[in-house]
Amino acid sequence: MSLEPITFWGLAALLLASALAVVLTKNLFHSVLYLALSLTATAGIFLSLDAEFLAAVQLLLYAGGVVTIVVFAIVVTERLVGDRITQTSRQLVNGFVVAGALLVAVLIFIRSGPLPAARPGVTGDLTAAIGLMLLTRYVLPFELLAVLFVAALLGAIYFARPDE
Amino acid sequence: MSVSGWLALYAWLAPAVAFVLLSVVYGLRRSGRPAAWVSIALSAYALAAAVGAWWVARAEVSNRLLWDWIPMEAGPLASVGVLADADSTLMLILVALISFLVQLYSVGYLADETPASLGRYFAYQSLFAFSMMGLVLAPNFVQLFIFWELVGLCSYLLIGYWYQKPEAARAAVKAFWITKAGDVGLLIGIVLLWRRAGTFDFAELFQLVQTGALPLGGPGLVPLGIITFCIYLGAVGKSAQFPLHVWLPDAMEGPTPVSALIHAATMVTAGVYLLFRTSWLFALTPGVLELVGWVGAFTALLAATLACVQSDIKRVLAYSTVSQLGYMMAAIGAGFAVAGFHHLLTHGVFKALLFLGAGAVIHAVGSNDIFTMGGLWRKMPQTFIVFLVGTLSLAGIPAFGGFFSKEQILGAVFEGGLTAPLAMLVLTAFLTAFYMFRVVFIAFFGAAAPAAHGGGHGHEDGHAHDAPLVMAIPLWVLALLALAVGVMIIPHPAAEVESPHWLAFLAIGVALAGIGLAWLTYGAKVVDAERLSSAFGPIRAAAERRYWLDDLFGGIYRGVILALSRLVGWTDRYLVDGVVNLFSAWTLMAGDRLRRIQSGRPQDYIYGVALGVLLLMFFSLSRWPR
Amino acid sequence: MGLQAYLTLAAVLFAIGLFGVVTRRNAIGILLGIELMLNAVNINLVAFARFWGDTAGMIFTLFTISITVAEVALGLALVILIFRVKRTVIADHLDILRG
Repeated sequence: MSLEPITFWGLAALLLASALAVVLTKNLFHSVLYLALSLTATAGIFLSLDAEFLAAVQLLLYAGGVVTIVVFAIVVTERLVGDRITQTSRQLVNGFVVAGALLVAVLIFIRSGPLPAARPGVTGDLTAAIGLMLLTRYVLPFELLAVLFVAALLGAIYFARPDE
Repeated sequence: MSVSGWLALYAWLAPAVAFVLLSVVYGLRRSGRPAAWVSIALSAYALAAAVGAWWVARAEVSNRLLWDWIPMEAGPLASVGVLADADSTLMLILVALISFLVQLYSVGYLADETPASLGRYFAYQSLFAFSMMGLVLAPNFVQLFIFWELVGLCSYLLIGYWYQKPEAARAAVKAFWITKAGDVGLLIGIVLLWRRAGTFDFAELFQLVQTGALPLGGPGLVPLGIITFCIYLGAVGKSAQFPLHVWLPDAMEGPTPVSALIHAATMVTAGVYLLFRTSWLFALTPGVLELVGWVGAFTALLAATLACVQSDIKRVLAYSTVSQLGYMMAAIGAGFAVAGFHHLLTHGVFKALLFLGAGAVIHAVGSNDIFTMGGLWRKMPQTFIVFLVGTLSLAGIPAFGGFFSKEQILGAVFEGGLTAPLAMLVLTAFLTAFYMFRVVFIAFFGAAAPAAHGGGHGHEDGHAHDAPLVMAIPLWVLALLALAVGVMIIPHPAAEVESPHWLAFLAIGVALAGIGLAWLTYGAKVVDAERLSSAFGPIRAAAERRYWLDDLFGGIYRGVILALSRLVGWTDRYLVDGVVNLFSAWTLMAGDRLRRIQSGRPQDYIYGVALGVLLLMFFSLSRWPR
Repeated sequence: MGLQAYLTLAAVLFAIGLFGVVTRRNAIGILLGIELMLNAVNINLVAFARFWGDTAGMIFTLFTISITVAEVALGLALVILIFRVKRTVIADHLDILRG
């Protein structure tokens, strides 16, 4: 399946623009919404990479679950009613310099490596392959992930206790 | 069989044992009297061993016991040991005898001291005896120098025994400084000699001199005259020659027995002994010897003039000692070291006698000032007799100790061809008799001065009396010894010089003239003392200010040395310490600044992480193989 | 589009996320930045997986997403707890570990 560059560039632009909005918007709530948009754009990128399953997982968990959690957290920690939820940023220049330098370094890395320009063809059903791998080769991390979720669940319950 | 060597060794080590016992055994020193008796017992043993060593050494050729000290491939660099020949054992006897008598005497003289102080005193006495014997028995320059310095230390400790008195402390420091100035010269001389000769040992050096292997000078070689002059400087300091004589009068701040031991009989004679020991070396440099002779004679005359204006009995004796040391040096300078050594021995006896006698007087009267004494011949007859014996010996009257040796010196100087020094010495003999009998007439004769200060030891009514037994025994022993030497019961060593008869008569005549003038002035009061002294107006004024030498030294000390000390102190405080403090201040500042990295805010830490990652990436980029 | 394009995209996204982490004052804002960074990582992983033909990258992405969800949940729970105690979510004020 070939991908048209226009789709890629469009998704990329959307992704980056919304990411910038996430970090620059003063209103925290708007920030979260822009995050949801960028997560969705990421799902689109996954689709362009022929990873349908992952795109679906991204939409479900990230754009759905994480954003919801963050919204709840904002609600709890700020007085929503009546107040403008604002936040300012600090030391923009420093951050810009550091992030920019990091970007430059990574780009140099990318340019200098031998990377394939063409993608190989799709062989078989990717989703089924993922599922098979999960339960054969990577079954141990899969199970551990379950344990991790249990721990996270317990932790969340513990944190959510009312004050004594 | 070097029996004499071993006996000398025992004599030498006995006071060392005493010192160690007093230092180490807890409570012994603090107990006072027991410590004193330990020290005295061991010094008696030392005396016996010394006499035995001398007796054996008279028959034997000089023998040595040596132990290697600093090993080197081509033989040891330095060794320690004992050189026991007739001369060193004789000196050993002198040291042991005077040390024993003085310690015995001190039990009585220092009876008022606290036990702890008394124990300290006897520890110092033992250490001094050990050091002096080590110097006397030294077979090489290294041991000589070590014990030379140790003797200087002991003199500092003993002069400053009553350290609570500021004058005593100052006098001790002054003695130390002045003799140290001379010691520097000695050290330089020793090292230069070693560079020339390759050895420190006396016997080996003697061999070199005999075989002519020690040239006077040469290209690239330090002239031998410089070497002997430097060695002589050590003697100048220790034996109080002009201009380094200024410490000796001030050293009278120490207890009188100390003055008897150190500044009459033993320590100050170390310089004379050194020159006597190395006379064969000095014989190679007659120019230096002539200087020695001139300085010796000049010192004798200078000190004699100074003694005439003193009112402190100990000061008179101190200047007298300087004067007699000048005599000895003059004889050595004339080339007849045996005469000088001879006078050293006799002078040791009668000067110690005079000091101890003066001590008895001071102990009884409670003051050093002769003008507070008077008519003591009635109250202290024994002391008067022994003091008179000593005075007559010092004046050089026949049948008393000093006569023969003094005549030898005059003869030596005459034979040596130093005429002006001879004239100085004859004049000095006149002055010697004069000032000593001045003291005798003022202190022992004449009207008793009113007992102003409440008298001396334990007598508030000012009634002076003869010394107790512990103090009297040493006095009588020394007096008898002086007489015995004078009457030749104790044989003198063979006369080195046949002095012309007219010289002997001149000496006796001059001495009698001095006694006569003193009697006229202070005894019969025929000649007015004031007019007599004003006849020598300028000299007398100068003498009362000690010829401004003390001021000169004081000025140098304060001006130069203290200024240098201040400069060095400033450098140390501001430069050396300053640099270190600067670094520590920088460290503190840096720490303070760096502290702010730990802001407690996670975002700042993320900064750190990001920077670290950046650095790593750039670092690995630079090494990325393209 | 070649692999480089995807990687560049991920790099820029990562830089933006880092910028957000170090400049935001609100703790929740910092967490949003972290989200972006993790997203960038995921894009990287999937791109590599696609171009090398190895599904391990995608599985790894799955794991990352799952763990990120758990982490966000608990992180926000912590923020809420801090808010309860200190009544602030400004990260600058949470400097008890100051040295």
